[in-house]
Amino acid sequence: MRPARAAVDAAWRPPHAPEFEVLAREDGIIAVYFTAMASPCELLLEATDVHAAGQLGSAAAQEAWRIETKFSRYRPESIVSVINRSQGSAVAVDLETAALIDYAARCHSLSQGRFDITSGVLRRCWKFDGSDRVPNPDAVAALLPLIGFEKVLWQAPLITLPAGMEIDFGGIGKEYAVDRVLALVAEQFAGAVLVNFGGDLATNRAPAAGPWQVGVERPDTEGQARLLLELRRGGLATSGDTHRFLLRDGVRYSHILDVRTGWPVPAVPRSVTVAAGSCVEAGILATFAMLQGSAAESFLIEQGVQHWCLR
Amino acid sequence: MQLKRPVSQLHLGLMAASCALLSSTARAQTADANQPPQIDQPLQIDADLLYYKENAGRVQTIEPIVSLKKDFGDQRVLDGTFTLDSLSGATPNGAIPAHQPQTFASPSSSSLTPKPGAKTTLYTIAPGDLPQDPHFKERRVAGDLDWSQPLGLDNTLSYGGHLSTEHDFDSVAAHAGLSHDFNEKNTTLSAGVSEEYDRIHAHGGNPVPGSDYALYEKEPNQTKTVAGGLIGVTQVLSRNWLTELNYTYDRSQGYLTDPYRILSVVDATGLVASYRYENRPDTRARQSLYWVNKVALGSTVLDLSYRRGKDSWDVGSDTVDARLRIDLGHRVYLEPHARWYRQSAADFYSLYLSETGPAPVFMSADPRLAAFSATTFGAKLGMTAGRNGEFSLRLEQYQQRPTEQSSSLTALQGLNLNPNLKATIVQLSYHLEY
Amino acid sequence: MRIRTVNCIAILLGVLVIGGCSTLGVKPWQREILARPQMALNAEPIDAAIDDHIYFSKEAASGGRSFGGGGCGCN
Repeated sequence: MRPARAAVDAAWRPPHAPEFEVLAREDGIIAVYFTAMASPCELLLEATDVHAAGQLGSAAAQEAWRIETKFSRYRPESIVSVINRSQGSAVAVDLETAALIDYAARCHSLSQGRFDITSGVLRRCWKFDGSDRVPNPDAVAALLPLIGFEKVLWQAPLITLPAGMEIDFGGIGKEYAVDRVLALVAEQFAGAVLVNFGGDLATNRAPAAGPWQVGVERPDTEGQARLLLELRRGGLATSGDTHRFLLRDGVRYSHILDVRTGWPVPAVPRSVTVAAGSCVEAGILATFAMLQGSAAESFLIEQGVQHWCLR
Repeated sequence: MQLKRPVSQLHLGLMAASCALLSSTARAQTADANQPPQIDQPLQIDADLLYYKENAGRVQTIEPIVSLKKDFGDQRVLDGTFTLDSLSGATPNGAIPAHQPQTFASPSSSSLTPKPGAKTTLYTIAPGDLPQDPHFKERRVAGDLDWSQPLGLDNTLSYGGHLSTEHDFDSVAAHAGLSHDFNEKNTTLSAGVSEEYDRIHAHGGNPVPGSDYALYEKEPNQTKTVAGGLIGVTQVLSRNWLTELNYTYDRSQGYLTDPYRILSVVDATGLVASYRYENRPDTRARQSLYWVNKVALGSTVLDLSYRRGKDSWDVGSDTVDARLRIDLGHRVYLEPHARWYRQSAADFYSLYLSETGPAPVFMSADPRLAAFSATTFGAKLGMTAGRNGEFSLRLEQYQQRPTEQSSSLTALQGLNLNPNLKATIVQLSYHLEY
Repeated sequence: MRIRTVNCIAILLGVLVIGGCSTLGVKPWQREILARPQMALNAEPIDAAIDDHIYFSKEAASGGRSFGGGGCGCN
């Protein structure tokens, strides 16, 4: 979970007619497009059989939609909503949810509490819509007692959330879905596969013709800072604050919030892109870097990862 | 540009955590493997009830419609609709109002004057009133079946049929269409053909077109055919703007006359001298150009269309239709609707015939062939019901204003010969997806 | 004569649309708005069929959206 990333999966997804398209490209790649988690999704297959690619694509889309349905905090039937409605009582979760909570717990401790899946309640007063509506400090302070993963009682398979607190997997979920869909497709398909969900992506290997050419959109940069990368294996994830900030008296308030104060981390980069072994790993490194604010670049250098930082 | 550094402790921790997450779910994956992912194959059910009522005791209909749509996967879709239409009320017979009472026979009568052993239903219209047959009743049963499927990667083939039956009218129709996507599915070209065959067997027989009403001459059953074609182009203009342009042409042939419509024949002063059955040409070619736009303005969607129509009877028409779908929260939407229409009169249309002038070959006083303008205003309110349902209510008001409503002839002074038509449309809908 | 005018407009608009289309449009991943059900041209097929039927029985012109209605003795 990236701390309080407002509305990362809030946008609309077609409920009745999810768009789904298969396109045989001229470069010998079959592309499958669909929409999931409010993101345009893309599955690239080094294949020639359009029908088989379509079958794999539908399995991929199905898996993405399954993960979205299961973990979206916007869906009343999701496990996250069930946990958030529990009002202090224990909720038993399945293995997959337990693995995600375990992961969040380890990230929380590795970040010394800066990464926190309970920080979403801050969205009640922070609306990062590009306006100048900075919340009242008292309102922010009033929410702080509802934040802190250390207040959550997590003893697999039981999670007990103090009443009023909420969790969400907004930031982890998409990266997790990318890796999972890649694993699912690679299990059934021998060629090179690339899974791209709205810029967070992963691949099992490069096609015979050469590495994947990946274009990464860099937000708010008039287009000239579009990053072109060559990817052979692993994951790539970008954390950024495209359109999600407040601007007041010349101060830019990023949507990356410090859970200890409830206020934005100062001097956050516009975007951080990280390459790592998996999309999940790349995503968490990018998020951790954002949380470092002005020290993002030195943090990434310290971790010894390939990264592209934009200020 | 980065320095190559050894992997840090923190990075190792994150790596381990990520691996643990992904490997634990890999186990979950194998456990789920006996349930292969499937594409949704939803069944959509629509149940609608339409209530249509005209002012001044004229026609009202109640029309239940049930529609089923089944997606068999791979974009192969079967769509069936069943309609039951019960119509009752008074319907204008084409004669004009007069300052004297006027007496007519309902079409099912075997003669205009009561005879022993023959069934005759007469109705008398009070002075100043529009002559309408008060006994009008009809029930229509109609079914539609459509199939559409991909043909190759970029084409869609669709075909279907239509059957409908009434006491006095049967219709069979079939259509087929092909559409081709290109330019990354941003452009679609469509073409289609249709053929309709109708049998007309009016209550009491089909009158001989143009004959004297008093003679009550009837003919055996009649038929008509309609052959049509359509070409269209659909274009994505931007992320939030979709446009379509269609050109349609159809040609009707056969008995195109309305068996229940008559015309008043008046003398030089405007007094009704007699009545005649109407008579229309036996061919009619129609063309239309239809342009529709779908524009998303934030969460609101505008549907704006314009249609220009033209036919070989010289009826020209313009239609502008606008709908705005406004989301009020996640569960409720409001859709205001406005429509404006105008048409010019058919070249053989007249309010009445004159005894003195030369008798025309083709003639009709059907208000639908007159020059008029019409407006519709209304709104639809929809809300989600349960997880997969939607309920909606549509209320609309339709009004027709004929251009020509009076005559300068002395005996017709002070009479509204073709009054305005007002109708209320109420539609209740329930949509469910499995 | 006027029928011919309609023809000419149809052909002209057709040429404009087809000629322009190679530069128009969006990438597959930019279709999130167009994919919304209410953005479909036949988003409300039953409503459209009902309207077509009502106006077919009350006005001289019909169709346009698809084939010209019909199958009804009401006109």
